[in-house]
Amino acid sequence: MNIIELDDVWKVYKMGEIEVPALKGMSLKVAPGEFLALMGPSGSGKSTAMNMIGCLDIPTRGSVFLAGQDIATLTELELSRIRGKKIGFVFQSHNLYPTLTALENVQLPMRVHEFIEADIWDKSEELLQLVGLSDRADHYPSQMSGGQSQRVAIARALSTNPLLLLADEPTGNLDTEAGKEILDIFSQLNAQGVTVVMITHDEKIAGRANKIVRMIDGTLAS
Amino acid sequence: MRLLDIFLLSISHVKKSRMRSWLTIVGVIIGVASVVAIISIGQGMQENVQQRLGGFGADIITVIPGYFRATGVHSEMHTDRSVSTSSSINLTDKDIKVIKQVPGIMYVNGLVSGKADLKYDNEKTVVSVTGVDTSVWKLMDNTGLDDGRYLQPGDSNSIVVGYNLAYGAFLQPITLNRPITIGGKNFRVVGILKQSGGLGGGSDTGIYMPAEVAREVITEKMANNQFTSMVIKASDASLVEYIKADIEQKLMSSRQVNPRTKDFTVIASALIREQMSGVTQTLSLFLSAIAAVSLLVGAIGIANTMFMSVMERTRQIGLLKAIGTSEQEIMKLFLIESGIFGLVGGIIGVIFGVAISLLIPYLGIQALGFGGDMKATITAGTIFFAIGFSVVVGILSGIIPARHAAKMRPVDAIRYDQ
Repeated sequence: MNIIELDDVWKVYKMGEIEVPALKGMSLKVAPGEFLALMGPSGSGKSTAMNMIGCLDIPTRGSVFLAGQDIATLTELELSRIRGKKIGFVFQSHNLYPTLTALENVQLPMRVHEFIEADIWDKSEELLQLVGLSDRADHYPSQMSGGQSQRVAIARALSTNPLLLLADEPTGNLDTEAGKEILDIFSQLNAQGVTVVMITHDEKIAGRANKIVRMIDGTLAS
Repeated sequence: MRLLDIFLLSISHVKKSRMRSWLTIVGVIIGVASVVAIISIGQGMQENVQQRLGGFGADIITVIPGYFRATGVHSEMHTDRSVSTSSSINLTDKDIKVIKQVPGIMYVNGLVSGKADLKYDNEKTVVSVTGVDTSVWKLMDNTGLDDGRYLQPGDSNSIVVGYNLAYGAFLQPITLNRPITIGGKNFRVVGILKQSGGLGGGSDTGIYMPAEVAREVITEKMANNQFTSMVIKASDASLVEYIKADIEQKLMSSRQVNPRTKDFTVIASALIREQMSGVTQTLSLFLSAIAAVSLLVGAIGIANTMFMSVMERTRQIGLLKAIGTSEQEIMKLFLIESGIFGLVGGIIGVIFGVAISLLIPYLGIQALGFGGDMKATITAGTIFFAIGFSVVVGILSGIIPARHAAKMRPVDAIRYDQ
């Protein structure tokens, strides 16, 4: 079963009187264990596609299946819960909750989904170690570098054992060295079986993935 | 998300933006402190009035000679003693007989009041003496005895002394069985009244003796059947108004006067008390309304802060929604935060309010009092009300911002540029 399946998805935004289609019948399948890079120039509908893959928005037409389930059949609350548990998000920036420490940030999704307290602590410490930031557990986001913040964000995204790690330009705000470290972590996770979808406009970064799909004008380039 | 976790997340916000949190809370503190202070002062004022009028029972009606021409609605309070108050107009035992025929009356006590020279233990002074009907006085007195007994029929050289006169007026306190000379006549103290603290006839500094004896010792000249006033006890306090009217009717016909030439006044203290507490209640309500305005300003402060935090935290809200937080949980997150502002502001505000209330008597503010000293009464009810109210105000002012946050779409929130 595919983790995510987009079937002829349209997304049309209304700008006053004018309707602007951002996605025009996009279809995509993400299979377990894949490391997929979604590429495209700005205005190609990349961000809208990311919203669809992440189930953050509902398509105007067509269907999105998350682990085989049509998300249109879910209530907003159900969708929110399932999305939060099955998809781990890593955004370009401002990923972390500024009033919480690194460790608390990693724990946040587990608290949202009411994990057992002991598991919350074990898992969060384990994940911080995985991204090499055990010594920064008590640091607030403002006390960490961009690269460190992204690593904490990855740890947090993994905390609920998601089916999919969805990263939106995860290295966009980082220097080359820090960006490389992040990509190494993604590769390492993928090698361990984590499914990764990464949205980027950078060919070099996309090269780390084992599958690249390109978007032009709201649909996949064939 | 568990409520405890939502709570801790709220706390983390309050702690991170400390300066703003405190400024918001200060707004609430000012509002709550003024509400608490004003309610306490209002209650103190009311108690003051009640205490001062406490000497008069609700079922007591008084008849005095002369007529107080009313100038306003509160006829008994704001009066000009006009028309005739000459000593030729007085009350006699004939009037007592007439009054006794009014239905609903339990006791009638004819009083003889005046000044008399007093000599005690080589000290001399002038005291006010009240001559009473020994058969009914003990049944009507509501001051109570501190020591000894009331006067009883047959007493002729016995007196009962007011508390302050007994314990405060002389070097040697007056105790039971001490001899006292009043108006050249020797008396023996048989009882000492409790301290009333009230306006009820100045019983604390007075001396009580049988009416017929009082006529002999006071400096004022009195005929044998003459009284300076009459105190009437009604069988039921609720009947006071009707009994008062009835007494007026009967006395007017027996004294052969009409409403224009009326030469006596009937006073029902219950009515005075009602009017007085009406006035103080209105006053405290008015002051509370003013205080409530400052609390409203505090509430707007909370709402403003909450709106700003919602705007500032748009991305965090998006993040929370992306990881599965429900609308309800986000609502709670913000409501707890505004509730905390209300709670902390409420608690500190109460502390300040109580401090202000306690300081009031020392500041000597008498402008609002009724001639007496100002005091504030702080009740547990006021404190809980103030804190509870402030929490409710905090939560209410957070509702609109919190809804605003909860309704954000995750897509928009995440893309929001700061």
